[in-house]
Formats: sequence, structure tokens, C-alpha cells
Amino acid sequence: MSEELFNKLKQAVIDGEPEDAVKFAKQALDQKIDPLKCINMGLMPGIQEVGELFSKGDYFLPELIIGADAMKDALDILEPALVGGQEREVVGKVVLGTVAGDLHEIGKTLVGTMLTANGFKVTDIGVDQTPEAFVKAIEENNADIVGASALLTTTMLQQKKLIEALENAGLRDKVKVMIGGAPVTDRYASEIGADGYAEDAISAVDVAYRLMDAPV
Amino acid sequence: MDRPPIEPLRTSHLHNFLDDAQLDQLQEATLKILENTGVKFPSEKALKIFAEQGAEVDFDSQIVKIPRNLVLKAMSTVPRYFTLGARDPELDLQLQKGVSFFTNDGCGHDVIDSLTGERRASQKSDVGMMARINDYLTSMAFSWTMVSAQDCGVTSPLHEIDVTWRNNSKHYQSVTMMGEELCRYGLEMAIVLRGSKEEVRRRPPISLIVCTIAPLVQDKEAIEGALILGDAGIPIAIMSMPTMGTTAPATYAGALAVGDAEVISATVLMQLANPGTPVFHSILHAWADPRTGGYVGYPLDSRARYAPVEMAHHWGMPALGGAFGTESPELDSWQSAAEVATDPLLVAFAGAEIVTGIGLRDTYTLLYPEAIILDDDLYHQARYSLLDLEVNSETLAVDVINTVKPGGHFLSQKHTRKHMRTSMVRGVIHQLDDQGKYQNPVAYAREKVKWILDNHHPEPPSEDVQKEINRILKNADQMLSK
Repeated sequence: MSEELFNKLKQAVIDGEPEDAVKFAKQALDQKIDPLKCINMGLMPGIQEVGELFSKGDYFLPELIIGADAMKDALDILEPALVGGQEREVVGKVVLGTVAGDLHEIGKTLVGTMLTANGFKVTDIGVDQTPEAFVKAIEENNADIVGASALLTTTMLQQKKLIEALENAGLRDKVKVMIGGAPVTDRYASEIGADGYAEDAISAVDVAYRLMDAPV
Repeated sequence: MDRPPIEPLRTSHLHNFLDDAQLDQLQEATLKILENTGVKFPSEKALKIFAEQGAEVDFDSQIVKIPRNLVLKAMSTVPRYFTLGARDPELDLQLQKGVSFFTNDGCGHDVIDSLTGERRASQKSDVGMMARINDYLTSMAFSWTMVSAQDCGVTSPLHEIDVTWRNNSKHYQSVTMMGEELCRYGLEMAIVLRGSKEEVRRRPPISLIVCTIAPLVQDKEAIEGALILGDAGIPIAIMSMPTMGTTAPATYAGALAVGDAEVISATVLMQLANPGTPVFHSILHAWADPRTGGYVGYPLDSRARYAPVEMAHHWGMPALGGAFGTESPELDSWQSAAEVATDPLLVAFAGAEIVTGIGLRDTYTLLYPEAIILDDDLYHQARYSLLDLEVNSETLAVDVINTVKPGGHFLSQKHTRKHMRTSMVRGVIHQLDDQGKYQNPVAYAREKVKWILDNHHPEPPSEDVQKEINRILKNADQMLSK
């Protein structure tokens, strides 16, 4: 019975069917099946297969994003049901956002999805976020990495301000900083003292793995 | 040294890529989106204007839904043609049917230094250098912020105006000036240049690009700055850049509908605030690579590339067309020319009143100073292609052909001596060196840049005006750089 539901959860992620993923997650809880096992034996193998299909070129971005959405929706049901010290295994915890004065959403969202599909726990704090909001989210989520996006030459200055805010809050040694966005370059990342720069969502995963000292 | 006259693209053969039924369908989609879905305006000032004029405004979500009657009423006051004033009155641009005025590309942030070959961040001096080259080139009818003055901090948009005016006498369209404060300073500079508010309104020496955020969001700073300038009669170009598959539907018509709804919602705001404000319509759509999400401006199939120009005209607005946005980071690769080669021709056939812009690489971000000379060549190819052919007894030369007879040659004919020098116009590919051999086009382009910078020195603003501009800049630096 459990095996069958694990497979259904896995398939819902592979097929990109968020409604099915939610339905099966609820069924699992109704049937008192261990939510951690649902995650580790259903959702995770599902998203890993999505990632492999994407790497092989069989899947394109929409399949990847909708698969990740299915996993996230099921996680929203299953994670609150974890008991005791149960916690799903993650490569690292990431806080993501777009900097103050900048309302561009899509690049940062893609990065979040790619990281989620690759085993990171991502907290997306949205667009137009002040350095203080980033600091608060980093503290609340005990983040390993913070990712800050800026799409304008006028707002990329805020990425530097974020690093200054991290220093002032005494967090700079505890969290790695990744930056991205159209006007941002590797050179600029070095200049402002960021730890990593990625030009697109796919390379962001490699950078995040490197920052976590995890095998790519 | 005299400046050669501006040579815009002219054609009497405007071509419609879309028919009226398709344009009506696109317009209807926009009206439905504005009425039912709405557009987010994260600006208290904009929300109040909409609310006062009868739009459905949700102050919490900042979404504005605009009834079609209000859209149509507001759109009835957009002027179809107007004047873009230049610093030099002789270079004023009167918008008109069948004439496309071009400018350089913008706004890049990196420069490949032509002396050292090193890649570095752009500076105020680069803005001035390119403004001077723009001033000399006949393809350039007005000037855009080509790269960002990153050495000037938050007041860089004002420094970009300053250094452009000191190096360029044409109309200047700012791509970077955002927010009420910067725009107030920018307006103050324009009034100093013109001598009065009335003259600014009559012959606006500057205009402003306002970028929307797809899908269906306006930028607070951009919109509030535009309201300040629109109030002074300064033209505003609303530019949407929807990307198919990520920030817009993956279908072309759907992406155009999203882009149009963004442009029209901002245009309606401008008209409600100040009826008659001159506004350009612009959609620079792109494709997202389905594998990487990367920005692709030139896929194999980009049919009806200038459909947005026709959409603008269908609304009764002038259009800002987008040309020359190669993704190639190379100065002179096959890709850097091939992607954009048909752009000027197509955009002129569509009848865009103003067009951006030549001279950058790597999707509008990277400046090689000599690239503008190479792109200028593509521009003039298009310009010549659009010119009418002269057919008369002199050009038909039937008598000369009869004199030469079958198997002869034309080199000894006076008719040939008269016409041969001018019949082949030399572009960058056919420039001769001192040995009579064709030069390398890139080497020629670099020499041309150097020659322009050494020899072309446009008259700067008067000392009194410059003194006032310096005062405004100093004041802005002190007030805004805190």
C-alpha cells in the first residue's frame, strides 16, 4: 500500500501534476504513512528523475518547473506532519530574493526552482527586498547561502549594500553570498566581495554546490 | 568642422505584415486584459490618478483595472506626430509618415577598450565619447544613453545628460533616468538649456524611456519620473520587453498582447495625468530558450518582427522600433551581422517613427567603440535599398550601349567616366588603403572612430548654461548621494 503511494507521488512529480501530488500526499497522511518516507521514497526520486530527464534534454524548462511545483505542493502537506526531530535531508538552505527597488521576479524564481530540484531547501522572499529583510530571513531560516538578484544597473548597487548589511549583522562568515541578474558580472561579484556569480539558473546550481563544498 | 546632415531611412512603400482584423484582435485582447486582469502600479500617485478618473483600483494589491471606455477616451488624446527638439535647432526631428529616425543602442555596462583590448565597466567618459561619434554619423538622428556612467553613482543619469550635451547637438533620449527626484533635476537641466519651460514644451531637448516589467507590472520609479516629465511636455517612450515562455505566453500573439497591455496602461496614465503628453509605443519582444531560459532575440522564425510598430499605429501612436540587438559578444562575427542585417529594412517598411539602436553587442550590454561604424554600414545598406531607382535616358544609356556594340567594353566611354566614380558607393568592406587594396573593415572602423574623435568637436552649451548645469549636478550629487 505504502509502495503504491510512493510510486504515485513519484509519478505525479515526473508527470508535472501538482493536483495529483497534493491528492496523494493527503491520502498518505490519511493512511498514517510516514511523511518522511513519502518525501524520501516518493517525491525525492521523482524530482531526481525530472532533473535527469532535464539533463538529458528530454525535458525542457516548463516540465522542470511544473515538476518542482508538484513536489513543493506535496511538501507543503507533508512537512508540517513530520514529528519529533524528523527533518528532510537537504544539500543546503538558501534564502533568495530580488534587491530593493527592483521588481524583476523571473530569474530569481528560476534559480529557486533549479536549486529545489537539486536538493536545496529554498526560501524565496520575493522582489524589492531591503538588506534588512534578507538578514531577517537568513537568521530565521538558518541559511547557508543567500542569493540576491538585480536586473538594473541602478539596483545592482543594492547587492553591495546587502553584503555590508551582512557584515554589520555579524553574519558574513556564516552565509555565502551568490549574486545574479542581467547587468551583473563575475568581475562585479569579485569587486563587491560576493562568493559566487551565476549567469543563468542552471549554472547557479553548480555555484551553490561549490559553495556548500558538495560534489556537483 | 561641419557635421554631415542626418540621413534617416525614408520609404514611400510602407508594408503591412498584419491585416486590420489581426490588429483589431490584438487590440481587443489588450482591452480585455486591462479590464479583467489589470496591471500592477506600485505607485500611490498613479493609483490615485486612476481612481479619480474612474478605474477600478485595489490599493492593497496595487492592481488597476481600466474599463475600455476609459482606455479609449484616454488614448484619444495621444498625439500621432510631434517634434523631438535638438540642442541645435537645425537638428530638430519632426515625426512623419514614411521616415524612420535611428539612434544608437543602449544601455550597455561593459566596454572593450579599443586601445588595451581589456573589458571593463563603462564610465562617464565612454558616454561622452559615443555621444561625439553619434553626433558625426549621418545614420544617427538622435542620441541614446549608450552605456551607463557607472563612475557617477546614483546621479549617473544626470551626468549622462551633461556629458552628452557637451559632445552632441542632437535630441537626447535618456534610458536610465528613474524616479521623481532625478527627473526633477533632469527637467531643471532642460529648462536651463532652453531658457524657459515654454521652450522645453515646444522643442523638448530630452525624452525618456520607461521600461515596464513583464508580465503586467509597472516600475514605481520609472512611472513617477515619467509623470514629472510628462507634465512638462517631455515625450515618454513606454517600452515593454515580454519574453515568450517566461514573462509572457509562449505564443507570439499572446506575448504581444501582454506587452501591449503594459504599454497602453502606462500611456493611459500619462494621458489621464496630462492629456496630450507625447508618448511612443514600444514592444521589444524576445524568446526564452526552452532549455536554459536564456534571452533569445533572434530565433530562426521571427515572423512579423515589427508587428509592434503596426500595433502602435493602430492605436494612433508613434512607434519606437527595436533593431540591432545582436546576442553575439563578438565585434565582427557572422552572427553579429547576420542576426540584425534585415532589421533596418524591415523596421523602415513597418514605418517606425524612431528606432533603436546600433552599436552594442552581447544583447545590448557590451560596447566596442568601433562597432557603431560597422553597424552604421548595415544601416546605410538599408537606406540605399529603400531609395528610388533613377530611370531616364541618361541612366538607361541606350546610345552608349549602341556605340560599344556586342563584345566591346565601356571603360573608354565618357558616360562611364562621368558615372563610374559614384555608381559604386563604398561601405566599410570596400575602403582602399594607400596601396589601392581593400582594408580590413574592423581596422577601417577603428581608424574612423579615431578620426571622428580627433576631428569632430560639436559646439558645447554656452559657458553660462554649462555653469548652471554644473551647479545643478553639484546640488544633485550632494542631495541624492547621501
